[in-house]
Amino acid sequence: MPRLRHFHHILIGMVVVYAAAGMVLPALPEAALPPPPPRGDAEPIVVPFKMLPSNHMVVDARLNGKGPYRFIFDLGAPVTLLNNRTAEATGAIDKKAPKSFLLGTRGEGRIDRLELGDLRADDVPVIIMDHPALRALGGLFSRPLSGIIGYTFWARYKMTIDYQAQLLTFTPVDFEVRDLMKELPQRMTGPKTARQVVHAPRSLWGLDVAEVDGDQAGLGVRVTKVVPGSPAADAGLQVGDLLTSLDGRWTTSVADTLAAAEGVPPGRPAEVVILRHGIEQTIRVTPREGL
Amino acid sequence: MSLVRPLLSALLVLATASTPGLAQAPPPGRDPQIGQTFRVPYKRTLTNHYLVRCRINGKGPFNFLVDTGAPALFIGTEAGKAVGLVPDERAFWTPVDRFQIEGGIDLRNVKARIEDPFQLEGMNALGLPGAQIHGILGFTILARFRMEFDPTDDRMTWTRLDYDPKDPYVPSDPALRQAPADVQAMNLLGPAMKLMSVFVGRQPEDIRLPQGLLGIELTEANGRLAVAAVLPDSPAAAAEIHPGDLIEALANAPVQTAAQAHEAVSRLQPGETVEITLRRGDQQLTRNLQATSGF
Repeated sequence: MPRLRHFHHILIGMVVVYAAAGMVLPALPEAALPPPPPRGDAEPIVVPFKMLPSNHMVVDARLNGKGPYRFIFDLGAPVTLLNNRTAEATGAIDKKAPKSFLLGTRGEGRIDRLELGDLRADDVPVIIMDHPALRALGGLFSRPLSGIIGYTFWARYKMTIDYQAQLLTFTPVDFEVRDLMKELPQRMTGPKTARQVVHAPRSLWGLDVAEVDGDQAGLGVRVTKVVPGSPAADAGLQVGDLLTSLDGRWTTSVADTLAAAEGVPPGRPAEVVILRHGIEQTIRVTPREGL
Repeated sequence: MSLVRPLLSALLVLATASTPGLAQAPPPGRDPQIGQTFRVPYKRTLTNHYLVRCRINGKGPFNFLVDTGAPALFIGTEAGKAVGLVPDERAFWTPVDRFQIEGGIDLRNVKARIEDPFQLEGMNALGLPGAQIHGILGFTILARFRMEFDPTDDRMTWTRLDYDPKDPYVPSDPALRQAPADVQAMNLLGPAMKLMSVFVGRQPEDIRLPQGLLGIELTEANGRLAVAAVLPDSPAAAAEIHPGDLIEALANAPVQTAAQAHEAVSRLQPGETVEITLRRGDQQLTRNLQATSGF
């Protein structure tokens, strides 16, 4: 870590990028992961949203019973972010907690109760900082924005976004919400060796494929072998076919192809799209259990 | 988080122009995919970002971040260059004839902003997401769909709506496209993170490898695992394994179920050898199988 300290200001900047403060303020007490969300016996809850003229989604949220406050709803945000003013007003952070010189970053706080309409999430970890883009957006439309609702909130739900109806629908799911703020510093300082991932389908297809060069590179893989009597042969695949998708996934490399096959359990038919003599065909293959 | 530079610039101008004069998207022909539902595979990165794969004018695929916090479609300069998209110096948007999203989505005549938002630049330089991110899918793409997203499912479900979202307003004068100073300062973070990557090193991407093939069809019967069939011209055929042989051990692990057998060879690569112990009648046989490529 000592080397990282020399780049303290850059790291704070990275907070802006990831909105993740754990690596900047490693002395902060580590917050426990949120408890698993309730099981999916709950009814879906519908929450309206509005669009800013800037094409950002805005939702009203109540924090610890206070509000409503306006938040950007952001599927691209790995954390939930709250500005200092709202954090203090709602008790998400101690007013005496020190602020960083840059963007008022204060690290991690918690919201005991975050409500969007009838939807309630307990114990949501938040990063507290004054994000300049939020300030700009809030100022621009003369209605302040308190923060950004990100992954640590929405990953607790099965969610539907309907832009046309301007409605969000949430149903709780059982999903471990990963704590980026714990993982990131470890990852930054950990060994730089690449993980090896082996794509191992459970099902036997009877195919071999190879990557192609030239015009068709990136479009698919070439079938180089079809084992007689195998599911692939039974379905009519032929050597020379260009396999472009398997079970709805693009097969642009051998690893991609195996990764797609991994998702197909033995006995379940899957659609395979091929180009044969330039003509696209869809073939159903039912792989069998095997090694 | 990607309240990125150009949108902010666009915003600022909204304020100065004080009129919500949003540019109307060009009237599109009715999209034949309207009403269709697509299952879109995605990858969750190590930074909790959600990526989908896209083709630009038939080329790619490229990884795009699904981001309701972005107002438009952003294509990084590297990907733009790779597909031969040259941004016009004066035009804010660059037209893209065809934009496909894995899972079957096929959009025509979309507009993209070609630039490198600092978030992507910084993250890519450090390799933190574990995958290169080439661009961002924001509002002008996402709003064409009703998007269902279940973090416990490996695909999203997108249904094409009869709705073509408007572009964010962009001033014609490039001088007016400047973001507020503190937002501009954030743009320095990308290069700063690149510099930092020199010191802390770049996180490598996963190496993805295919599993090797043995050519054994499996069946479970009476609590035993047996060979159901042997693929012709396979390692199993070469080792004279027969249908009906019971599999007792694989890679030195006792196996009784197909799941255990899969686990035993889950990291077996083409060219590697694995030992298999079989029972045929009252005989116990041991064979070494050299895996081939295939699946």
